[in-house]
Parts: sequence; C-alpha cells; structure tokens
Amino acid sequence: MEPDVSMETSSMIRIAVLPIGTVPPTLLRDYHSMLLRHHTIPLSAISSFYTEHQKSPFTNQPWDSGSLRFKFVLGGAPPSPWEDFQSNRKILAVIGICHCPSSPDLDSVIEQFNAACKGYNSALVKRCFAFSPCDSHLEEGGKKGDNLIMFPPADQQTQEFHLQTMMQDIAASLLMEFEKWVLRAESAGTILKTPLDSQASLSSEEVIKAKKRRLARAQKTIGDYCLLAGSPVDANAHYSTALELARLTADYFWYAGALEGSVCALLIRAEDAVLEEEVKFRYNSVILHYRKSFIPDNAQRVSPLSFELEATLKLARFLCRRELAKDVVELLTSAADGAKSLIDASDRLILYIEIARLFGTLDYQRKAAFFSRQVAQLYLQQENRSAAICAMQVLAMTTKAYRVQGRASISKSSLSYETGSSLVDGGKMHHQSVQSVVSLFESQWSTLQMVVLREILLSAVRAGDPLAAWSAAARLLRSYYPLITPVGQNGLASALANSAERLPSGTRCADSALPFVRLYSFPLHPSQMDIVKRNPGREDWWAGSAPSGPFIYTPFSKGEPNDSSKQELIWVVGEPVQVLVELANPCGFDLRVDSIYLSVHSGNFDAFPISVELPPNSSKVITLSGIPTSVGPVTIPGCTVHCFGVITEHIFRDVDNLLLGAAQGLVLSDPFRCCGSAKLKNVSVPNISVVPPLPLLVSNVVGGDGAIILYEGEIRDVWISLANAGTVPVEQAHISLSGKNQDSIISIASETLKSALPLKPGAEVIIPVTLKAWQHGPVDPETVAGKIASGSIGRHVKDVSSPSLLIHYAGPLANSEDQSAVPPGRRLVLPLQICVLQGLSFVKARLLSMEIPAHVSENLPRAVHVETTSCKGLVGSGNRMDKLMKIDPFRGSWGLRFLELELSNPTDVVFEISVTVKLENSGNEDSHSADHDATEYGYPKTRIDRDYSARVLIPLEHFKLPILDGSFFVKDMQSNGTSGSRSSSFSEKNTKAELNASIRNLISRIKVRWQSGRNSSGELNIKDAVQAALQSSVMDVLLPDPLTFGFRLVKKGSEQDAELDLPNDSSGPKGSVLAHDMTPMEVLVRNNTKEMIKMSLSITCRDVAGENCIEGTKPTVLWSGVLNEITMEVPPLQESKHCFSLYFLVPGEYTLVAAAVIDDANNILRARARTDSPDEPIFCRGPPFHVRVSGTA
Amino acid sequence: MATTACFIIVSRNEIPIYEAEVGSAAKREDAAQLHQFILHAALDIVQDLAWTTSAMFLKAIDRFNDLVVSVYVTAGHTRFMLLHDSRNDDGIKSFFQEVHELYIKILLNPLYLPGSRITSSHFDTKVRALARKYL
Repeated sequence: MEPDVSMETSSMIRIAVLPIGTVPPTLLRDYHSMLLRHHTIPLSAISSFYTEHQKSPFTNQPWDSGSLRFKFVLGGAPPSPWEDFQSNRKILAVIGICHCPSSPDLDSVIEQFNAACKGYNSALVKRCFAFSPCDSHLEEGGKKGDNLIMFPPADQQTQEFHLQTMMQDIAASLLMEFEKWVLRAESAGTILKTPLDSQASLSSEEVIKAKKRRLARAQKTIGDYCLLAGSPVDANAHYSTALELARLTADYFWYAGALEGSVCALLIRAEDAVLEEEVKFRYNSVILHYRKSFIPDNAQRVSPLSFELEATLKLARFLCRRELAKDVVELLTSAADGAKSLIDASDRLILYIEIARLFGTLDYQRKAAFFSRQVAQLYLQQENRSAAICAMQVLAMTTKAYRVQGRASISKSSLSYETGSSLVDGGKMHHQSVQSVVSLFESQWSTLQMVVLREILLSAVRAGDPLAAWSAAARLLRSYYPLITPVGQNGLASALANSAERLPSGTRCADSALPFVRLYSFPLHPSQMDIVKRNPGREDWWAGSAPSGPFIYTPFSKGEPNDSSKQELIWVVGEPVQVLVELANPCGFDLRVDSIYLSVHSGNFDAFPISVELPPNSSKVITLSGIPTSVGPVTIPGCTVHCFGVITEHIFRDVDNLLLGAAQGLVLSDPFRCCGSAKLKNVSVPNISVVPPLPLLVSNVVGGDGAIILYEGEIRDVWISLANAGTVPVEQAHISLSGKNQDSIISIASETLKSALPLKPGAEVIIPVTLKAWQHGPVDPETVAGKIASGSIGRHVKDVSSPSLLIHYAGPLANSEDQSAVPPGRRLVLPLQICVLQGLSFVKARLLSMEIPAHVSENLPRAVHVETTSCKGLVGSGNRMDKLMKIDPFRGSWGLRFLELELSNPTDVVFEISVTVKLENSGNEDSHSADHDATEYGYPKTRIDRDYSARVLIPLEHFKLPILDGSFFVKDMQSNGTSGSRSSSFSEKNTKAELNASIRNLISRIKVRWQSGRNSSGELNIKDAVQAALQSSVMDVLLPDPLTFGFRLVKKGSEQDAELDLPNDSSGPKGSVLAHDMTPMEVLVRNNTKEMIKMSLSITCRDVAGENCIEGTKPTVLWSGVLNEITMEVPPLQESKHCFSLYFLVPGEYTLVAAAVIDDANNILRARARTDSPDEPIFCRGPPFHVRVSGTA
Repeated sequence: MATTACFIIVSRNEIPIYEAEVGSAAKREDAAQLHQFILHAALDIVQDLAWTTSAMFLKAIDRFNDLVVSVYVTAGHTRFMLLHDSRNDDGIKSFFQEVHELYIKILLNPLYLPGSRITSSHFDTKVRALARKYL
C-alpha cells in the first residue's frame, strides 16, 4: 500500500528526487520545496519544448487546458511489483540534486548520478540539477552533456524561473517518451503481469484466455499513459475498451484497475462538475471487483486486498466532507476491518495512518487519536529508535484528543482554563457554576490517559528524547498518582531521574511534576512593620486607615472574601517579604525539591530559593521569601520548582482547580487531603503593589527583650530603644497606647522621640517608659473601682495581658502636590511583655486602739489646736518612737490607734515595707496648709522574709478634725462657714456615702510602699482592706469628741490659768501631789463644736482598785467644791474651767474622770453619739487622768 | 452471555461516570484498555448520529475488529455505550432500557450531582445482573 493515495494519484507522473554527492539536509529540503512548486506543468507551457516526431497517439490532448502532474519522491523508492498494473507507480523520471560547493568534482557527480539512475529502469528522463556552481564549474559543465544542468548562482526569482524552464523541458521530454511508449505498445503489444497472476505454467485454454487478457491489460496500460500525458479523453477511450475486454475475460483485477482509471479520467476531464453519485457508484464497483479478484490459492503470498483498501481510502478521501461523514465512517470502518487480513505490517501501518488522517479531516478527533495510537503501537513493535521517534510523534498528536497535552502545547488554548478559574474562585456554588466546573474536568478518561502517557514515556525513552520522557512521566505522576501503585510511582520517579541525567542542567519543562504546591497564606506585614495609609491633610495622619484597627475580625472584610481585587498588599522595595506555601507529596517515595522559589513574572522581585525534603505521603508548609526590587505591581502566579533535575513552574491556580474538582468528586484525589493536611480555604493571591522605600523602626527593650517581670504594684522604668533600620529618615512619629491594662503605663517620654526627629537611617533613640504592674489574677471589680475609671474594670478582670505601644511614623512627604502619591506611613506595634507576679499578699487589716491615761500635772496635756501645732517640730525630734507616744490633743490622754496590716509573702524574695502618711489639713482654710500637704511621716521599715507573714502597724494620727460640726457630714469638707444651715439638712441616708468619702480621703493619704532587692519597688494596693477595717470606727478616728476634758493642778504660787505652754516633755509627772494635803485642781472642758453646749458635769475619782473613793462609806479622798451635777455652759470652741480641791488620805495612784450629760443636744451631737431617740441623754465621758499621790499614809 | 462486553456511561460532558467490564471472558488489563479506547473513539460517531434520529437506541454504530459498539443516548445526552462481540440487538436494547431506569433513579437522588461519577454499589450490582440477564 502507498500512503496519501487519492483518485488523482493515477494521473501523476512519479519523479524520484535523489541527492547526488553530499547535500546538506536543509538545502536539500529547500531544493525539494522549490521543485514542489512545479508539481503541475500546463501543457500550454511545454509546447515550445515539444516536437512532434510522429503522429501523437494522444489525439484528444487538451493543449490549452490540460496539464502534466508530477509527484516528487524524495530519495526515490524501490520498484513496485505492481508497476505494470498501475503505470503511475513507475518512477518515470529521475532528478538528481547536486550542491556544487559540497561536491566540486563534476565528473564524480555525473558518475554518481548515473549509478543512482541504474536502479530506475523505468525512468524515461534523467536530469541532474547542479546548484550554486562556481565559474569553473559553469565552463566545465557545458561540456558534460544534457543531463547535467547548471543553475548559476542568482537571486531567488531568476533561479525559480530557471527551474521552471527545466521542469517544462522535463515535462515535454516525458510527453514525447509517453508517445513513443504508447505507439510501441499499440503496435508490439507487451506482456503485462502482476504478482497476482498464477506463476504456474498455463494450460492451452488459459493461453488463449491470457492472450485476450493481454489485450485488455494493454488497453488499460495505454489508458494509464494517456492519463499521465494529461489526455483524459484518450484515456477514457482506452479504458472503455479495456473494461469491455476485461469483463469478457473475467479479469476482475484489471477490470477494477481500468475502472479506477476511468474515474480518474472522469475527474480530470470535468473538474468542477463532478458527478458524485457516478464516482461513488463506480468506485463501489471498483472495490467490489478488487474483492472479487481475490484468489484463495495465493492468498498467502499476495492479495489484492491492499488495492481494495486503497480504493476504499480513495473513495473515502473523495467523499471526505462533514455532511457525508456517515458514508466516510462506514468506508473507513470497513477499511479498518481489512487491516487484520493484511499480510505486510507496513501496509497495516499505512492503512491506519490513512484512516487516522481521514478521520482527522472529518474532525473526528477521537477516532483519529484511536487510529494514531494503533499506528504508534505498530511502530513500537518495530523496536528501533527511528520507529520509536515516529511513535512518539504520532502519540504526541493524540494527546489533544485524550486531553493529556503537555502544557507547552496548550499554552494557546489555555483560555478555557482562565474562564474556569474565575468560577473556581467563587465561594458559593450555584448549580450553573457546578456545571461549568464539571466541564473543567471534561473527558477524564483516566485509564486511557494513563495508557497514552505511559506509551509516550516508553516511546520517548526508546527514542532517546529525555525531555519528552520527563514530561510524560511528570504528567503521569502528577495526574494519576492515586491510580499508580507505590512500585509504579517509584518507577516513574526513577524514570524522571534517569531522564534528567541526560538533560543539560537548567532544562525547563512546561509540565510540572511533584510536589503539589498551593498557596497557604500571604502573611500580612508583621505588626512591627505594618503599613498605614497616610492622610496628609490631617495631623493624625494614620487615623481612618483600615488595617490599624485592633480587630482580628472585622465584619467588613467578610463580605467578599473571594474578590481578590479588594485585598491589597503593599510591599516595600528592599524589604524582605514572605509567602507561605504548602507542598504535598502524595507518592510513596521521598521527594527532594532541590530548590523552590516564588515565580514572579513582573520582574521586580528577587526570590530566594530554598530546598525541601518531603517524606512519602506528607505535606509541609514552607516560607518562601524574596525582596521586591522596584516599584510597581507584583504578580505571583506560582512557584518555580527545581525537582527531579528539571525546572518547572507550578501554578497555584491549577492546584486550586484540582482541589475544587476533588471537592466535587470529579478528580481522583486531593493530594493535600491524602497527605493529612487540613482542608484549607481557597487563598487568592492579593493585588500586591510595591512602594518606594519607607523608614523602618526596629524596637527593642533595653536590657533584653524578654518579658518584664514585675510584682504586683511594682513601679519600674523601662527603656525602649527605637532604631531606624530603613533607608529613609523618620520625619513624623507618634506614640499611643492600645491593648489591655493601658493604665499600667504611667508615663512615656514621647517628647524624647519627638525631639529626636528626623531619625536618620541607622540612628537610634531611647525612650523611657514607666510601668506600674497591675493586680495579679482576677480581682473583684468593685475593689479596683477606686483607682480605675469604671469603663476599664471589665477588661481588668477578664484577662490579664500586656498593653502595647503603637508608634505611627512616616518618612518625608515626597511631593505634596500629588495627593495620591503620598508614601504611606508605618505603624510599629510594640507589645510590652509584662509578666506580673504575685507579690505580697494581704491577709487582713484591723484597727487597734488603746488609751493610756495621762497624769494630771500643772500643765494640761498638750491641748493645742491643730492649726497652731507645728508638726515640724515633732518630726524633727530625735526619738522617733516618741512621736507615737503622743497625747491626743483633744482627748488629753494617750490615745493610740493603729491600723494593723497582716501581710504574707508567698514569693521567694524578701520585701521591705515602708509606710508613709501624707498629712493633709482638710477642713482648714489656713493659708499655710499647703505646706502641710507636702508633709510626710515616715515610719521604720518592716522586713518580710519569704514564706513568712508579718504585721505592719500604721499609726492613725493627725487625722482628727479640729471641730465637730455638720460640715463633716456634708460632702464638702472645705466649706464649713454655712454649717449651721447645712446641719439641719443632714440626713441619715447620706451618712454612709459621706463616711465612705471621708474614709477614702483618709486612706489615700496612707501609702504602703515596698521594696525588694535593689531595683524592685512598688506600692501595695491596700485601700480596700483599710477601708474595711476602718468602716466601723472611722468616726472615732476622724472626729473629735464634742467635749474634751482636762485636769490640771492649780499652782499655789502663781494663780495664772490656762496658760498654754508648749510642754517639752510631758511624760514625766512634774507637779507631785502629796497626801494629806489640800490639792487645788481644775477641770477644763472644751467645746469642740460650733454651738453653745449646756451640760451638767460630774467628776469622779477612783483608786487603783477602781473603787470610787470620793463617795461611799469610807472615802479615801476628801474634797471641797462641787463635784457633781455642775451645770456649765461652754461657748463654741471655747473652754470653761471649774475649780475644786481634793484631799488624798492615802498615797497611791488615783484616776480622775470627768463626765458630762449634755442638755438639749442637737443633731450633730446625736449623730456623733450614735443615738437615735431624741429623748436619750447624750453622755460624754472624758479620758481618765492619773494622779500619783506620794507621801506616807 | 457475551464473552466480551464493556459497559460505560458517559456524561454529557464526555466524562465516563460509570465503567464495568461485564463480559464472561477472563479479565485482561490491556483488553480492558482497548475497550475503553474503542468506546472513547466511538463518541465521535455518537455525537453526529445522536441528532439524526429520535430513537434513543442507536444500535451498533461502530466496530473495531470483532468488537461492536452499541449506544443508547438518553434525553439528557448521557450516553450508555456497550462494547460487545455478540449480535443480540433485542437483548442489548432491553439492557439499555433497564439501565436507563436505574440511571434515572440515580439522578433522582438529590445528593447526586449530575455529571459526576456514579459510585453506588447498588447500581453496579444491578447493572451486572442486567448484563447477565440480557447479554
């Protein structure tokens, strides 16, 4: 069988084109293509070369419209055994092609040409074309005879023209030869045989039959020559005769041949108005007769089957149009059926090739692919390299139909992919889009695809094309790993490795192998280098920029997560960025990725490669980094991977599509899922733009970036160093706070930062920050209410975490006229890592009070008003303990009140507690009270060892108010001028609140500081405890009694009274009292209120045993004056005296106590005395005074 | 029962959604592949032929060597393709009709996405039983 046959083939003159000498392949191809242009020579063009020697047998030759057709056979062909049967199979002419520069010896060229022509007995015309001869060749060539034709070097057009002339000459020569041949055949008669004819000797009957047949065959052959000579009318006449004769002699084979020729003549004669039905009918008859000519005897040796199939293919080719597809398919199917009866393997090959081509012409791609694959299998059976190359090329053509194309071949048709991807991005799947997703994975005939790929791999390996082998193995492994056994996967891996060994290093392949790469996330900027849009119109330029919010989740970002245009990412030139990708190796072998880096097509990004090892069935998230190099958008379609020795590009979108298909059950398997990786939301590549360099502040805490460990209440300074690591100076900076426990930052030296601006690249500034540790652990929200604004309580309780410093900074404004081109600023989030440890823990607090009676002496105990007391003197006195032992100025006795705090130390360090009391003169409008405000009383330090408890005593003194009036009960402590009217408005209801306020006031003056080690110090938050302890007895602490009583010896010598000397040392008894002596005394009653008090005063005297020694049956003390029921009226803030005398009979210790019953007590007094009923008498008792009576009894 | 038979359902998107070798001949991998190749190639013919007739059963539309391809096209253009070596048109027609009913039942399943692979083992069992009955 011959390839590429058609009905017109019968009319083509076959010319062998032979390279003579050495002709470079490219030149040979050029020369051949030049010849090809002259495949049809019109008869009208050759008339000048034609000379009619005899009368032409082609009587009806159409000289004006006819033409000769050439079929050039490059390299020639061996003579066919069937060339008698079909004259067009003969090589009727030989054209040698010689390239003079490469074979300069013309003699040897001619020799070679003649030798080559020897193989072509049937050749009627022989010419050798010598191209590009030099001058000597031209001279020489003229003598060499007709056969050698020189083509002098000239331009293309001239040479073409020259060639055309030569071809016309050849055509004319051939025509004349045909005439000769026909004339000879008509006269002499030739023996025409085919291999089909019986080789055995013929019987006599058969000899006669053969004679008749010979006539028919001669007529048929003459018809063939007429066709070749371009004279269809003559041909038809001869064919008709031949048909007649052949039918008579039942020579079906030749009958069919003649019929074929007649159809060809018909076609040539009436080129436009071809009767399709006629052709179809005749050809069906041709096919039928070829089939009829089948002789079972010699079927083993030779068979007319190939002619039958050829005829079928010719008809199919003739009919090959879309609308006749059904007929063509039928013909081709029956032709394919004949394949298995073909003896020659190469015939089968040609048959399949032709069938595949015809199906391809019909646009039956799958059918064509099927037969192409059959062809490839036939090639592969041949087991040699060139066959393998053919197989590989044929298979490559089938890849489109089977949809296993390499990416290189589908780059143009990737539009469908593009449209698919937009749907893939859609989060919500409508049915419509599901359908289109389905169509994305169209024709997943995995079995077929695997077979085809495997065959491509096999053929590529045999053909020695490592790149094709690599690509096929990569496609096979990547797409069908779930269907391949681990052994098979290993085999593919080694096939990849073997192929890569033969490839030069750095080879790129469009088809990616493993691993699967998907985008994991695009990390936004770390908070240290967050980029904030700058609003140049505002002072706080960072305000209103979206990403600076504290929210991880914002409801606005939820809306369209798949709309990638909304996601904007800004990268900065020269600053490294990172992208997280996930790799998966779903196969059963260790995968080593030699290098992987982001593949950026925009060209303004330097990616850093890394290498990864992936164990079998594993996935890994890796960080790929790089540096943007210039301003502009960056697109990252995928990763470039160097794996299995070849560089490939892995596109993220492909994997996304694959995953989507897997989710829909359309693709075999999800490579990430089967590696145990979690399902990941589709991550879309945001729009990335690169901006010019920005300043970059780098912060660290001086003295280590570790957590700052603080005990509760500790106050400490930390220094934060800010350095500009960028290449642009910082020109604007602003510090703000965020996060929880913001109140723990007491102060930030933002002025230091401001003054350091502009911060040049490389410059550093250190700013101090003062911290105060918050309460450790959950705290009752009420207890912290005193300190923190009510809004922040909740936060306190919920979570204890550190605050952050937000530093917004920006570089210079580049060009202010263009608002949009303002370079963005940045935000540095500096979380202060504060770790609060439990410090001293408070156990309990209570109020201790005691009274030590004073001695009655000549002077009153220091009964001074606070406003006139010089406290400095007391502070300045040497003995500190003395200060505790003071006499209450308003009670006249040693009244001590201590707040006792019990603290335990659960930590492993030692604490030292120091208490300071800040004295404040509330309720005093004196001008120099400001001085007293600053006064602090320090007390000795208390040391608490680890794991011990200790008690700290806080003396509660200096708190007494000088005057008892209504103002205390009213909130306003400062105004006591209108107390009279206020007191009437006093109500019980307010008492509690007022008390609390005063207690707070009191407590705020007490500070309990602690110190531990050399550099830890802080303040104990004990307000709540103190408040609880003082709640019940605050009035006693704060308020003076309405009346104070004092006793005094009246000096006998000087009768001066009420001289208010300042006693230097009141502890020792100065004026001694003697027994058996009349001792004049006076009692002083002071009214501490602002109203006149009427009362009745009584004085009692008791001995050591507590017996009343004035009254009773046996008094030991005699007295003169009035001691009982003394009616007195004391004006406000004044004192009154009452004199009396005592006569002690027995020496010893006596106690004098004054008491009074107040008449007509007002509300204030009642409140102070805590009585409710107005009828109850208000009883005031003074403190006891001791009198030591010396002498003998 | 036919010695060789391969039944495939091809969705309208040209994806094979169900495959079954239902022949009685011993299973050979390369044969199964060849069957699929033949069926795949026959799709070209089906695609033209389906529009020329109103019948769902297109009869034998293609052949390769001894193997014949019979096709049944549903209204939704799902193609049932049977590759067989026996000539039993009536049996094949009945087979297709019964499989069509089974397929409709699959389609009625709200959890089945039309065009995706049929993984129901019940369907598989039924189809094989029908193949034994009719082919």
